[in-house]
Amino acid sequence: MQLAFLCFLPFLASIFNGFWYLFAKKPWKMAAGVVSTLALFTSFCLASALAFHDVTFSLPWIATGSFELPFVLRLDHLSSIFVLVITGVGTLIHIYATVYMAHDSGIQKFFAYLSLFCGSMLVLVLGGSLPILFCGWEGVGLCSYLLISFWFDDSEKAKAGAKAFIVNRIGDVGFLLGMFVLFQACGSLDIETLTHAQLSPTTVLIACSLLFFACTGKSAQIPLYIWLPDAMAGPTPVSALIHAATMVTSGVYLVTRLHVLFDAAESLHIVMATVGGVTAFVAATIALVQDDIKKVLAYSTVSQLGYLFLACGVGAYEAAVFHVVTHAFFKALLFLAAGSVIHGMDGEQNMWKMGGLKKAMPVTFATFTLGWLAICGIPPFSGFFSKDEILFHTFTSGHTGLWALGLVTACMTAFYMTRLYIVTFLGTKHTHAHESSWGMLAPLCVLACLSALGGIFGHMISHTLAFHAEAESSQLEWILMLVSACIAGLGIALAFFMYDESRQPIRARIQKQYGWLSTALAHAWYVDEAIDLVLLKPLRQIYGFVWRTIDVLCIDGFIMLLASGGRASGDVLRLIQPGFLHISIACMVMGAFFIMGYMVYGQL
Amino acid sequence: MVESFAAALFLIGLLGIVLRRTILVMLMSLELMLNAVNLTFVAFGQQQGLLTGQVYVFFTMTIAAAEAAIGLALVIALFRTFRSVDTHAVHGMRE
Repeated sequence: MQLAFLCFLPFLASIFNGFWYLFAKKPWKMAAGVVSTLALFTSFCLASALAFHDVTFSLPWIATGSFELPFVLRLDHLSSIFVLVITGVGTLIHIYATVYMAHDSGIQKFFAYLSLFCGSMLVLVLGGSLPILFCGWEGVGLCSYLLISFWFDDSEKAKAGAKAFIVNRIGDVGFLLGMFVLFQACGSLDIETLTHAQLSPTTVLIACSLLFFACTGKSAQIPLYIWLPDAMAGPTPVSALIHAATMVTSGVYLVTRLHVLFDAAESLHIVMATVGGVTAFVAATIALVQDDIKKVLAYSTVSQLGYLFLACGVGAYEAAVFHVVTHAFFKALLFLAAGSVIHGMDGEQNMWKMGGLKKAMPVTFATFTLGWLAICGIPPFSGFFSKDEILFHTFTSGHTGLWALGLVTACMTAFYMTRLYIVTFLGTKHTHAHESSWGMLAPLCVLACLSALGGIFGHMISHTLAFHAEAESSQLEWILMLVSACIAGLGIALAFFMYDESRQPIRARIQKQYGWLSTALAHAWYVDEAIDLVLLKPLRQIYGFVWRTIDVLCIDGFIMLLASGGRASGDVLRLIQPGFLHISIACMVMGAFFIMGYMVYGQL
Repeated sequence: MVESFAAALFLIGLLGIVLRRTILVMLMSLELMLNAVNLTFVAFGQQQGLLTGQVYVFFTMTIAAAEAAIGLALVIALFRTFRSVDTHAVHGMRE
């Protein structure tokens, strides 16, 4: 019962705010945010009370014939971790958003969507069977769309929302087909039943491949990562909550939830690891040259999600979950700090127009520093432990190539984050900006503490999940730790060398020499353009052809033919119509007599 | 006996519709025909000892009321358009 309460409180807040928006047009500044925040905070308290217990809540839901699908919510160790992150980080972001959005006229609508998102996300992680999980999966997709295009007056933003929605739908086809395959083979979609079912290896492979395809959509992996950078059109708290901390990790959640199945699909492992590794690398290269502060963070999110799938691919699910948690901390922090900067700069997002913000925004600067150290992987901050664990497991599972790729990515991560950090906050440039209010800074401080100290959760997570036997910590682990710390340090040092203000000429020379490369990177490897050329343009031509020939010519033509035929026959029949009422009546009466006569005498 | 009366009533109504030119009278004749049918229903119901006939009368009366409403509305519309209730004024149905 408490579990249902935990899950449905955000929905209640959402309904309340929604009706408020519809019926009372007067925005009462922060009250809507307070309602949503309180609802989510209560959820968080309930979650803390229930966490790491096995709780099940069940209601009869769909029952037709032999098919029965109860509405099951199930809390176990894995979902506990996710629920705590969602409600905990979510509450902080809600507090921040209450202040951040205070001057927006649609604030109730914003919080209605945000609460709806939190509720859907909780359904996603608590759902005890795949269809319920899918309900949450679709719910978060919908809210993502609604919130990306929240300022829909701007057609660019509306388009970004539509893009996210459509790309996610492509992935969802995979989810649906995967469910069908599993149901065909197993007869049930309950996760407990599925994990204990005896399935043939081919079935498992097909189902897991389809589900993994769905994950590439939701968690922004190659080939479906293209929506996430555009999703930054939404308000910054949305980017932090949905497109960094929670929703995008649901793919990893799905894989971890069904890890028994994914373990059985052995040939998928290398695919998953490669997709993750390559996504991490490619996204990091793009992030190197982005000028928009949120775009850098967006590509960095794609890159970090790549690490998560790399970890899942090599079977290190605990490491993936650990990185989900730390990433939620530091990426939410970085996004919120970036939001604070954007707020302070009155909406400016180009980092070259910033600089020297250290003095103007000291608290934002301090918290961002912690987030930056965490994502770069500097010990003893949280990102170091989780990223190192992923790289360690990649190395020990024998994928040395992917390990090297991950290491290079780590170096690039350190480089582009340092670049962002230097250009925005350091330097002697004096930019006019105002520090944000404490309503926004307080969540930043809490998240900064979590980012700094999040490493201590690592042991706890791998201990409570314990999917596989813990590998003994060896000398190798220490060496690898040292290597990745050095690599991160190298990236930072390189960035400090390059982006010092006195080195402008060197940068210009490099820019001149490798201009083509930086242009390609700035256009994100021309992936969007390539998709447009290879996929969308032929599709548009086919649709145009279908529209012109089949729709206009055949279907419409046939209907028009029928219509003009009717009109022509009417023109002919008019000639025998006198047009006087009583003649018509007389004809009708005669006809009636005729029919009557036929009925009485006709069969004699 | 009653059947013959009903049949006579029906014929009067029919002739009224076919021969009269005032649309209002035509509507009245139509009512006459409906009531003739009602009478037949009741009479046969009585003869056969069945309730069905009586029940059907209620349906007919309901329909007749609805029909009268629509018919009168049409008459009014017609009068407003042509300033006449003569059916000869209405010969535009061919166009």
